Amino acid sequence: MDWLSTTRQAFWLLFSGDPDLWAIIFVSLKVSLLAMLIASPVAIGIGYLLATASFRGRKLLIQLNQGLLASPTVVVGLVLYLLLSRQGIFGSLHLLFTRKAMVLGQIIIAVPVLVAFTLAAVQGADPRVQETTLSLGASRLRTALTTLAEVRFGVMAAVFTAFGRVVSEIGCSLMVGGNIAGFTRNIPTAIALETSKGEFAEGVALGFMLLALALVVNFSLAFLQGEGGLR
Amino acid sequence: MNEPLLVIEAVTKRFGARTVLDLAGLVLHAGRSYALTGDNGAGKTTLLRVMAGLESAELARARYRGRDVDLCAYPEWLRREVIYVHQHPYLFRTSVKDNIGYGLRVRGTPRRERERLVHEAVRWARVEHLLDSPVHRLSAGEKQRVALARARVLKPRLFLLDEPTANLDTESRQQTVALIRDLCDSDGIALIACHDQEIIQLPGICRLHLQGGQIERRWSPLPARGPTDAGSAGENVRHGLADGLPLQPVAND
Repeated sequence: MDWLSTTRQAFWLLFSGDPDLWAIIFVSLKVSLLAMLIASPVAIGIGYLLATASFRGRKLLIQLNQGLLASPTVVVGLVLYLLLSRQGIFGSLHLLFTRKAMVLGQIIIAVPVLVAFTLAAVQGADPRVQETTLSLGASRLRTALTTLAEVRFGVMAAVFTAFGRVVSEIGCSLMVGGNIAGFTRNIPTAIALETSKGEFAEGVALGFMLLALALVVNFSLAFLQGEGGLR
Repeated sequence: MNEPLLVIEAVTKRFGARTVLDLAGLVLHAGRSYALTGDNGAGKTTLLRVMAGLESAELARARYRGRDVDLCAYPEWLRREVIYVHQHPYLFRTSVKDNIGYGLRVRGTPRRERERLVHEAVRWARVEHLLDSPVHRLSAGEKQRVALARARVLKPRLFLLDEPTANLDTESRQQTVALIRDLCDSDGIALIACHDQEIIQLPGICRLHLQGGQIERRWSPLPARGPTDAGSAGENVRHGLADGLPLQPVAND
């Protein structure tokens, strides 16, 4: 394998606007952004409640979430496959090998990350935040929103970390998406396929794209935190 | 004689086996302010926090303007009447203006009215020059003044101030004391936990001393300077007797 020519070819693919390649990138972005859009509000709410409310089973839920945090994406894919396959409980929905199934899988992967990071951020918030909002007459919902705004950098870190995880995961997308060209083929599944076919250039081009995405995400986090991250 | 604003009928608070507060019959009258003194750990902060509904207690019965209140199940309407200000106030990481306007915003005050009130409060607290500073750069005294403005703008009937001048340098202390004096003169009641002689000796301030979890002694206020406050000392003697609290002058130690 000639590294130089492979890389040159990869850049050619990227910058010549190869439609197949950009379709793959588009699928990745669409699925992952949609999954984050659905998962974030719910999971951030759950994380906030776990951090602030006291109820029976709270500890158990937190431990369960910690456990899910470490679950391999391919196992999430396996379970989802069994549920969505023709014989599965949700087989009648015909979701297997669709983008919707991929979105569902990525939501399941993102939620524990979002919950755990939000929980930690809110637990780390100054206890005077809630006392101040309450004393100034804020409702519970307003108190929650103010608290989350006060720990916004922690919450943002949650969102970016979760996005980084779902956009780069391959196990679940491969299992429930099926790597169908132009439909459910996203960056990670395409890299695996192209490389196994010996089409290194496309693999490298997509690899660059994924790296660039990760860098953009990290730089935006650092930029947004800026000076505000300092005390 | 007016009905008292707040009567703490009974408060019991324990931390484990230790009883921090066990008091009864603390009466706060409208138009007066109170300095709550006591050693460190005497329960001053705890009492204020229970009164503000920020801390639970084993027992916390009170009457607010003739209405029975269980402070352990703190009613929402009482939050609109009582405001607690921390010893080290927390300012939201927004702007000074947004901090002062926070309470008005959650009450749904229209924007123009809100801006007017915030502007007025900013001038009252003399923090005009801080409007563009990031809040985490403010000094302790500046934070305290912003917090006082944030509380005052809501016009509560009862201010609970926890050591407002502790750890401040001379100049910020004097600025803060001036604000507190103004608060005591014109606005609702203030109950101020403090050791600060300057606050304790403000005209018209009654001194409550907390010891062993009980309000122990009571200090009649110095004769007030203004003509409107004439005879307040004598009136307070009557309050003291009516409350059934032992009344004796204490040295301002």
